[in-house]
Amino acid sequence: MALSGMRGLSVFISDVRNCQNKEQERLRVDKELGKIRTRFKSEKGLKPYDKKKYVWKMLYIYMLGYDVDFGHMEAVSLISAPKYPEKQVGYIVTSCLVNENHDFLRLAINTVRTDIIGRNETFQCLALTMVGNIGGREFSESLAPDVQKLLVSSSCRPLVKKKAALCLLRLYRKNPDVVNVDGWAVRMAQLLDERDLGVLTSSMSLLVALVSNNYEAYWSCLPKCVKILERLARNQDIPQEYTYYGIPSPWLQVKTMRALQYFPIIEDPNTRRSLFEVLQRILMGTDVVKNVNKNNASHAVLFEALALVMHLDAEKEMMSQCVTLLGKFIAVREPNIRYLGLENMTRMFMITDVQDIIKRHQAQIITSLKDPDISIRRRALDLLYSMCDVSNAKDIVEELLQYLSTADFAMREELSLKAAILAEKFTPDLSWYVDVILQLIDKAGEFVSDDIWFRVIQFVTNNDDLQPYAAAKAREYLDKPAIHETMVKVSAYILGEFGHLLVRQPGFSPREIFNIIHEKLPTVSTSTIPILLSTYAKILMHTQPPDPDLQNQIWAIFKKYESCIEVEIQQRAVEYFALSRKGAALVDILAEMPKFPERQSALIKRAEDTEVDTAEQSAMKLRAQQLSQTSNALVVSDQHPTNGTPAVMVNQLGLLKVPNPSTRSNMDNDSEDQRLPQVNGTLSKVEALPQSADLDGVLLDTLAIEGPPSSIVQPKSNSNLGLGGIAVESSALVPVDQQANAVQPIGNIAERFRSLCLKDSGVLYEDPYIQIGLKAEWRAHQGRVVLFLGNKNTSPLLSVQAIILPPTHLKTELSLVPETIPPRAQVQCPLEVVNLLPSRDVAVLDFSYKFGNDMVNVKLQLPAVLNKFLQPISISAEDFFAQWRSLSGPPLKLQEVVRGVKPLPLLEMANLFDSYSLTVCPGLDPNPNNLVACATFYSENTRAMLCLIRIETDPADRTQLRMTVASGDPTLTFELKMFIKEMLVSIPPAIQKPPQASPTPLQQASDVAASTDPGAMLAALL
Amino acid sequence: MIRAVLVMNTQGRPRITKFYEFWPVEKQHEAIRNVFSVLCSRAEHVSNFVDAESIFGPDSRLVYKHFATLYFVLIFDSSENELAMLDLIQVFVETLDKCFRNVCELDIVFNYSKIHAILDEIIFGGQVLETSSTEVMKAVEEITKLEAASNAINLVSKSVSNWRSR
Repeated sequence: MALSGMRGLSVFISDVRNCQNKEQERLRVDKELGKIRTRFKSEKGLKPYDKKKYVWKMLYIYMLGYDVDFGHMEAVSLISAPKYPEKQVGYIVTSCLVNENHDFLRLAINTVRTDIIGRNETFQCLALTMVGNIGGREFSESLAPDVQKLLVSSSCRPLVKKKAALCLLRLYRKNPDVVNVDGWAVRMAQLLDERDLGVLTSSMSLLVALVSNNYEAYWSCLPKCVKILERLARNQDIPQEYTYYGIPSPWLQVKTMRALQYFPIIEDPNTRRSLFEVLQRILMGTDVVKNVNKNNASHAVLFEALALVMHLDAEKEMMSQCVTLLGKFIAVREPNIRYLGLENMTRMFMITDVQDIIKRHQAQIITSLKDPDISIRRRALDLLYSMCDVSNAKDIVEELLQYLSTADFAMREELSLKAAILAEKFTPDLSWYVDVILQLIDKAGEFVSDDIWFRVIQFVTNNDDLQPYAAAKAREYLDKPAIHETMVKVSAYILGEFGHLLVRQPGFSPREIFNIIHEKLPTVSTSTIPILLSTYAKILMHTQPPDPDLQNQIWAIFKKYESCIEVEIQQRAVEYFALSRKGAALVDILAEMPKFPERQSALIKRAEDTEVDTAEQSAMKLRAQQLSQTSNALVVSDQHPTNGTPAVMVNQLGLLKVPNPSTRSNMDNDSEDQRLPQVNGTLSKVEALPQSADLDGVLLDTLAIEGPPSSIVQPKSNSNLGLGGIAVESSALVPVDQQANAVQPIGNIAERFRSLCLKDSGVLYEDPYIQIGLKAEWRAHQGRVVLFLGNKNTSPLLSVQAIILPPTHLKTELSLVPETIPPRAQVQCPLEVVNLLPSRDVAVLDFSYKFGNDMVNVKLQLPAVLNKFLQPISISAEDFFAQWRSLSGPPLKLQEVVRGVKPLPLLEMANLFDSYSLTVCPGLDPNPNNLVACATFYSENTRAMLCLIRIETDPADRTQLRMTVASGDPTLTFELKMFIKEMLVSIPPAIQKPPQASPTPLQQASDVAASTDPGAMLAALL
Repeated sequence: MIRAVLVMNTQGRPRITKFYEFWPVEKQHEAIRNVFSVLCSRAEHVSNFVDAESIFGPDSRLVYKHFATLYFVLIFDSSENELAMLDLIQVFVETLDKCFRNVCELDIVFNYSKIHAILDEIIFGGQVLETSSTEVMKAVEEITKLEAASNAINLVSKSVSNWRSR
């Protein structure tokens, strides 16, 4: 029997209590479970009393955290015991142990029903309780009508009725269809006439569940709820036992007000008036008293009333009255009320009318940040977070920062995240934002996630004005004695990129910067060392004139890490060492990082609006980076000026800081010596930069390039655009163009190129004035391409120029292009292509024209790509294997494990190969996860050459595979292998050339990531 | 809806637990441990609210009351009023007090079957069933009478349970 003792049970509980440790307890419990199991098995002789005792023991053991699955059946079986004590145990324990989907429950459903419809009230109660706790859908369907009957029966005692109401609630939750809305609404309203407050409380809970789904059917209940509320608030006819610390059933008041919050509006003016009277009474008549319980109860009602007032959208007067109350609450001694005051203020803040009134309490809310109770501090933080806007961001964020150093650890992470978000969202100026984030890192470095410091670097990189400031700040923090590693990362990164901007200031010489950063190296973890190495490389690059001592010192560090066990560190060390010996070319390779593609964020948007220049520079830098990733073979180092545009060579770092004069396109200066002064003459800032002195060297040394100002597609709209679409030189030497490009291309150039790689006719380029179509025929190593230049306008296109910049492996001949394309006319320009050698490089069409005052120049990749010189071929298995075996190893047969492959089902991969004219030969490889393909490749040099490819995929990890390529020509094998790799790694996003010569690890990393997400990009870059 | 009722002592041992949503036993215990680790670090005279979402998932709240060696904890969702839940704990404890005359932890340990019966008269399937401890007592007395009528065994008197305690 439940309420009286069972000796065995008490002994067992004592034993467990006497266990000294968990191990002993486990032993004792196992022993008991063993005993119970044996007893249950030997069915005969187990008296109901014993059974009951064991089932209770099981519940106790279950509470201690042990599994008692085997006993479920026993507990359920007790439900059908005839006597009350056993039955009671069965019902109670079953509802604790068993979940609603348990099969055994189905067995009991009939017993349960019998108990519910039976005459025994106590059995009814037990059955209802169990169904109310664990009744599932099946119970719902078979029992709902019976339970409803009980609920409306006049002979049913309140004790049963209130259980029936909540039981119905459960069944309704499991299956809303069991309550027939039309019929039930009337009954529900009748139930609210009940005088017994116990039944009324349960019925109100039921009503809340019903109206939360469908309030429309229950309009008739609304006035009754208001009546009930009036009765309670006026304390009319409330029995003593339902008065809790002098307050008429606070639970019923609360529930009733909850129910009212589900009705969108109260239309009847009388009802509305009475309700507001009651609410007013509650709002005004509640005081904080000494007795905690009374306080809790009266404020339970009060806070619910506040919620209802907010919901009803009361007049502003009442609202501000509520805010005043809340303002009082957040300052009282009683912590629960402070807590709820803050919480409700946060809710209330959604209502615009009162926001200003709430803001008046800012000081008190900030005080709550120092409350001894962490729960209250959290609420205060939430409230401050939601009330923060441009007007108070500085105050609030600074408070948060101040609090950060004393805040408990449990809150620091949230605190720093919130401070960072607010600082970013409402920053009045960016230098303040940088300050905030650096302070955050300083005070709570371990809680500042990577995202936060990546973000600040994005801001600094994208905002030129900010860079010197950030560098100075970073330098300041490095002087502090013990700084968090994240601070080392940020400072090293910022100083590496932008430290040179302050080179004239004391403490900013490359050597000093290097020394202070290098001091930190022994203290940092392996994840930071690569960043430091990059910084060293950048310092080296910025040291002008070179400082041999510093250089040797840095080289020594690179040397030291060349054998580091960490691959990332080792790779950087090796590469930087090699790169830094390239002399002036280092400047190009390690050029300043490009700007990050902008994220969708309110702040950024505003920044874009106010700083158009910045946005465009950002686009330019982005492009510069992307270009520098493209193949070096595209570089024509001795490019002749076309269109009267001189090829301007300038140090990138100089250029990135300054606008390119738009007048440049009208100059015609062939000699480099002449060009330079012009550049310098128009670029006001160049002289200030140390590099300007070396411009000559840079110029003579390498890469020329240009791009007339209006020529290049702005990648702003689509950050992918630049990847494949603009094939300019590999060097990052792209002049910055501050003039808006008047002519925007239509469609995605890279996309168009990609699709033309797979088919032979289509549109290569289109803008509002011109459309360039293309049609090609490929025969062995030769191709004939026809360009269709169509003028879309009613005025002529002038100064039309088309020049092919062929890579070394292609011989091209373009027929004459007329200088003028008449209105609405189409001109055909045949182009002959001969493939000399296998290569993945791409020919570029440099195309320009003038429309009105707009000079347009675009550089378009031509789809004369490697796969155009492939022809599908089918060969027999014998031939294939004979060839495969005869090409025994490098350099004719190359194998590579490719990672980071875009995962594709094998079938799709086969289609992809087919689309590139690589014939997939099914059945040649016995392993179904492998793929074998072949093709013939044609070039003048190699003639027809058979190529064999085998791909071994890993079904468990589709992002990696092993690829073997074989052919009779080493160059072909290598080029084809790389070609296929590129095709697999970057399938749709971009057909993009990875750097071939002198790749910098920085760019390589981002290449693989090929992501437009700045966070990921930054992560990859670092 | 109330999701769970937990009663544990100040050493973190569960004394009564009842979950109104199905939770696997390991999860129940993890939750109990986590709740305890939060509660035991809380000072006196602070609020009765604790952040529960990290333990019980979104839309969960927790109120607790500390009596002598016991924590009484209710976990519920936003459809309930926090202070009303706190009042409910008070009702539960007052009812226990009436049943056992100055209830102590041992009463709960050794009469946990009876506590279940009492709890079932206050909270029903996660909803507040009865808020008047007088009414609860009436129901419990009825049950006791029924059991006595079925003439099972002797009551374990309070003195016996005290005697058993260490």
